[in-house]
Amino acid sequence: MSIYLDHNAGSPIRPEAGQAALKMLARSDGNPASVHRAGQRARRALEDARAQVAALIGAEPRAVVFTSGGTESNNLAITGALKLAGNRRRVITAAIEHSSILMPLAELERGGAEVVRIAPDRDGRISPAAVVEALNDSTALVTLGLVNAEVGSILDAAPIAAAATRAGAIFHLDAAQAAGRIDTDVRALGCDLMTLSAHKLGGAAGTGALYIRRGCAIAPAILGGPQEGAMRAGTPNLIGAVAFGAAAEACGIALEPERARIAALAASMLARLCDEIPGLRLNGSRDGRVANTINLTFPQVLGESMLFALDLEGVEVSMGSACAAGAVEPSHVLLAMGRSAAEARSSLRISLGWSTTAEEIAAAAATIARVWRRVSQAEPIAAAAIEALR
Amino acid sequence: MSARVLVAMSGGVDSSVAAAILREQGYDVVGVAMRLAPETDARPARTRATCCSYEDFEDARRVAERMDFPFYVIDLRAEFGARVVDNFVGEYLAGRTPNPCVMCNREIKFDRLWERARALDAEFVATGHYARIKRDGAGRFHLLRAADSSKDQSYFLFSLAQDELSRTMFPLGAMTKTEVRARARALGLANAEKPDSQEICFVPEGDYARFVEQRASKLNGEIRPGKIIDLEGRALANHGGVHRFTVGQRRGLGIASGEPLYVREIRAQSGDVIVAPRAALGASGLVAREVSMVDPMTAAAGPVRAEVKIRYRHPALPATVTLDSSRGAEVRFAGGGPAVTPGQACVFYRGDEVLGGGFIDRAIEE
Repeated sequence: MSIYLDHNAGSPIRPEAGQAALKMLARSDGNPASVHRAGQRARRALEDARAQVAALIGAEPRAVVFTSGGTESNNLAITGALKLAGNRRRVITAAIEHSSILMPLAELERGGAEVVRIAPDRDGRISPAAVVEALNDSTALVTLGLVNAEVGSILDAAPIAAAATRAGAIFHLDAAQAAGRIDTDVRALGCDLMTLSAHKLGGAAGTGALYIRRGCAIAPAILGGPQEGAMRAGTPNLIGAVAFGAAAEACGIALEPERARIAALAASMLARLCDEIPGLRLNGSRDGRVANTINLTFPQVLGESMLFALDLEGVEVSMGSACAAGAVEPSHVLLAMGRSAAEARSSLRISLGWSTTAEEIAAAAATIARVWRRVSQAEPIAAAAIEALR
Repeated sequence: MSARVLVAMSGGVDSSVAAAILREQGYDVVGVAMRLAPETDARPARTRATCCSYEDFEDARRVAERMDFPFYVIDLRAEFGARVVDNFVGEYLAGRTPNPCVMCNREIKFDRLWERARALDAEFVATGHYARIKRDGAGRFHLLRAADSSKDQSYFLFSLAQDELSRTMFPLGAMTKTEVRARARALGLANAEKPDSQEICFVPEGDYARFVEQRASKLNGEIRPGKIIDLEGRALANHGGVHRFTVGQRRGLGIASGEPLYVREIRAQSGDVIVAPRAALGASGLVAREVSMVDPMTAAAGPVRAEVKIRYRHPALPATVTLDSSRGAEVRFAGGGPAVTPGQACVFYRGDEVLGGGFIDRAIEE
């Protein structure tokens, strides 16, 4: 049996979400936009799911737009905000954001937008003061991750929200890695837009949402029918939405005890690994970080070898991102944090979640230490040598 | 628990069938594709018949999915660049004609890949090469030509010694290409009809000269233009660099002459390229360097009679091989010698068996 420690890539579907989806599949309801009663049943299921998702972030249900996932939500937020921004051409983001933020911004930059990318500190934190300083009266949008996917750093959003509002800029938070792990109340955070992803919190992949604060005007990206308040045309993914709703509800109910449980498991994992692997380094700060994400630089090994060796031993973790060819690329987040290419190539991300147990953590820690000893002896190429070859 | 085998997969039919056969035999197969050429992503998708492209990895992945074994893409671009590509460029600039496939086998597939195999707890490495390994009663390992002589790739594998051979598998060694394709079809592998790769995987459109020129400055290497000179010392033409020539070459010399002329010798120091009629090309022997023997006992007692192959597609010629104490060897051909191309591998055979080999340093004239 394998041990899944890659929740930041996607959590296994929670039982509540799986049951809701199965129930929906069996019902064969109609199109939620149809007038007949089959359509009305479908619509009610969709709206119930919307209310469940909205409750997780303290929003009105009508402010939640279902999308195909975090990537679409980020694209909608960015392109939608810029289309209605008039003469405001500046966008502020951070160098550690997800590709679904960085790539659309690079495209807009080619079209004349001015993109300011705030660099993180060595622990992967974004200074609110640096963001506030970059704000000016031509700023259309501030788009930042609430929790970083690679190292788990938590953004101090409140001061940014206040300054963005004063400057007349839209404030977008990508909360894909935050929802279900920390408090993501949109009013407390003061954001105008918030991205959510279903499969990061135990729903099904292919579903997400964008919260759009009432009064915040953005343009739709997908045009067609009047679904989702005309913000996202197309018949919604009803089965994905009900699974998302059930998962969000389950997360919301257990948020505090689950946070404490995961923190204890992660602390135990980290302590065991530090004991067994001399020179192991944690990427990210000890606090100001979601506990579930443990990003580690291993001495004297290639992360790639560790990743494959661990997979063959039944421990599933991750490293950087996969390129089109399926090869692993070093994390752009670690590079932005000032790690060398060699350090980034020797780093792995371990991410815990709702399905993680104490037994799994004990077994995984032992396996990781054992595999590290084997890999570091088998491939005696120090990280510095790899660096020198480049 | 069955033994774990790391199978190097290119996405081609050979390595796919090799992996599939081992899987069927019950081995714990782990497939790996090696990302080698730095230009992988920039290359046009239509350029087939090369390895390391995105579609090739997908082909390998599909085989792994169908045969139900784990598959990973490993990144050896840095090592490949330093140990194979830079060597290739340096050799051309030095007036030699390198064989990067031999270098890749030695430096990447049976060195770095082996370390990776140990990291992944694999006991064996397997490839889709057409060659055979036999273990005799005394526990010694022998490297043999493939059963299908038209596909035999033992030439590329001469650097494997006892230790490597004891942990290596060539599942296709006893099969013909036709049988391999038939097996691929029977297994339902999508790449059963995929054409064989031909050119050197990292040189776009097979334009070696251009590639060498582009990479020369990175190595602080110098393009060495000079003169084309005949046996009487007459300069026949100027040329743009010694890297554009290989010994035995006839085409593209840019000279008109009554009798066909061939490159006989390349002098990188002066830039001179010596041309001669075909009859004056043959050397009586050669000096090889970086020589390794499959079994070190073979030539320990003195000169060995062998058949020596000095290019992949050349026939093996009878010769006497004498090793020296610094991994060098002198090869004397029994009859009229061939044109000898420095930089190519020379491989010593006895019948079907590979005794060893090395890289050609220079021809012996007398």
